[in-house]
Amino acid sequence: MTWDQLIWFALVASLCWITGAVMAFRAKRQWPAATAAIAGSVIFFAYIVGMWISLERPPMRTMGETRLWYSFFLSVAGVAVYLRWRYKWILSFSTLMSVVFICVNLFKPEIHSKSLMPALQSVWFVPHVIVYMFAYAMMGAVTLFALYLWLRKYDATDEELRVCDNLVRIGWAFLTLGMIMGALWAKQAWGDYWTWDPKETWAAATWLSYLTYLHLRPREKDQNITFALLIFSFLLLQMCWYGINYLPSAQGSSIHVY
Amino acid sequence: MTLQWGYKRAFARCALLFVAGTALQIIFGDIDNSFLRYPWGLIVAINYLYLLVLIHFQTDRWPWLKRLYDGYACVSALASMVVVTIIFGLTRQDPATEGLIGLLGFSRMTSSWPFNILLLYFTTTTGLAVVDDLHHWRQRRLAAVLSHLAVFVVLVAGVFGSGDKQRVNVTTQVGHTTHVGLTDKGEQVQLPFALTLKEFTMDEYPPKLYVLDTRTESSSMDFLSVEAEGVEADIEGWHIVAERSIDMAGRRTESGEWQQMDHVGAAPAVYVKARHQLSGEEFEGWVSCGSFIFEPSYLMLGGRYAVAMPRREAKRYLSRVELRDEEGQTHLYNIEVNHPARVGGWYIYQMGYDTQRGRWSEVSVLECVRDGWYSAVHIALWTMLVSGVVMFLTAGGRRAAKPRKEDKR
Repeated sequence: MTWDQLIWFALVASLCWITGAVMAFRAKRQWPAATAAIAGSVIFFAYIVGMWISLERPPMRTMGETRLWYSFFLSVAGVAVYLRWRYKWILSFSTLMSVVFICVNLFKPEIHSKSLMPALQSVWFVPHVIVYMFAYAMMGAVTLFALYLWLRKYDATDEELRVCDNLVRIGWAFLTLGMIMGALWAKQAWGDYWTWDPKETWAAATWLSYLTYLHLRPREKDQNITFALLIFSFLLLQMCWYGINYLPSAQGSSIHVY
Repeated sequence: MTLQWGYKRAFARCALLFVAGTALQIIFGDIDNSFLRYPWGLIVAINYLYLLVLIHFQTDRWPWLKRLYDGYACVSALASMVVVTIIFGLTRQDPATEGLIGLLGFSRMTSSWPFNILLLYFTTTTGLAVVDDLHHWRQRRLAAVLSHLAVFVVLVAGVFGSGDKQRVNVTTQVGHTTHVGLTDKGEQVQLPFALTLKEFTMDEYPPKLYVLDTRTESSSMDFLSVEAEGVEADIEGWHIVAERSIDMAGRRTESGEWQQMDHVGAAPAVYVKARHQLSGEEFEGWVSCGSFIFEPSYLMLGGRYAVAMPRREAKRYLSRVELRDEEGQTHLYNIEVNHPARVGGWYIYQMGYDTQRGRWSEVSVLECVRDGWYSAVHIALWTMLVSGVVMFLTAGGRRAAKPRKEDKR
């Protein structure tokens, strides 16, 4: 499997996801939409597995490779939320975002080396990246939803705010898992749980910011404050994910360079 | 957008702490945490914990103490940590930084007063929440109780155990025994064991061939990984074929040819044929990254381009170490990256080797780390992992988190 085949897998997967998103609104039952969306995710996952086999290592080392997982987990998160809480809109959101990230990979292809440096050869590597990508996907979905609620002409209902809270709670739980796995891995590799590497610093800022949201929400009734905090937290997440690659203060001092 | 009075008061408290921290930084300079070395770190931590429990049980007599851990305090402590962490992230961490940033301690954030004071405030708020959680655990969410507790333990260990960590670099040479290491300040430390490097081995990835543009001094993004003889690729308009590949080769001085050489200092060499896809121009010759004995070889493709091989990347490196403990018993360990050896309270990590000699290195750099708070932090981190899973599983509950009673003021 090579990057040349991405377009075909992505095309079929996207068609399945779009079908699922449309069915969510059209069909009376949940299963047709869920089946279509899951089929899309399975096809896309097959491509990731193919890459994994042909690269002889997990495809998680470069930005392009992590975007594959991001697209995949967005679709999985979308179906999970749809099945659990029956939000029809979530499949449209997850499809849109998955397709955007696939397009980034298609229009900005990267050449990928097969080598994986010794520090990355750890049992923690795969779960650490997967869990973080899932968290990013959840936070991406909730940010879009929050923007929609904030920009429309009337206030969000309690039920809609509860959706935001639930998605943030799941996303934050995964951020925590990713961060702890990273800490346990770092201890095994370098003898320190935490070294305030620029990536870690921004991961801490992101984690704390979402945690502030979770503590603020039960008390704060002003929607402007809560939505602004949610979007600000997502900006911090962007800085943590790829922003530090361009940040002058982080140049040459991060071990998380890819 | 209006801010409740409780928030104004709590944020003002954080701002005051930040200002006080900045003043202390300007007056006293960085915090020296060496006074927290065992047993003092532990003694201070126990007293601190006692103080937190005392505060919790004195809130009936002095209700204002609740302001240290009510909802407003939690949000303000968290928000101030966000702000100070963002400043941390935006400032290059360099102890040599001068000017205002250096004066305020932002370029040495972990040892600066403003950061540590706010961190201690955050730890205190979390700790009081933990005591409150444990006191009223039936009314709390399991995930919240677990994560408060785990975060608190990690923070306490981080703050009060910071002086206890010992980190010593040991440079070992094959066949030599050493029991002395160096700290990052260059001080010698006597280790409670002696290390003898028996063997250092390294596996490398296959050689890679790139097309270099000698005019712009840039290398192609595409490359040919020479995993077997006969592999080929199209790079920057050139069709490259690896005709022959020798894993361990030496260069004949008279002809410049590379041939099999099973000896220390051998380098990988590939006989390459290159054809320009448009003009049909052809070149062939040996390409090698060289070694500490041999100069590298390039294949020039006319005047501007060349085929080159960078040094092979390390796949895995391993030190076979014999350790003699204080009782005189010897143990054999294989130490590699991500697989440290554990000896009592010490962990021994594979850090580096002589990169000039690469796979022929006879030197291995090990790092010995002793962390007295290891078990506490390790258990706390696993607790946090569990709390993350519990939070995920219970996130869909319709019941929103109940604010503490005292927050409804």
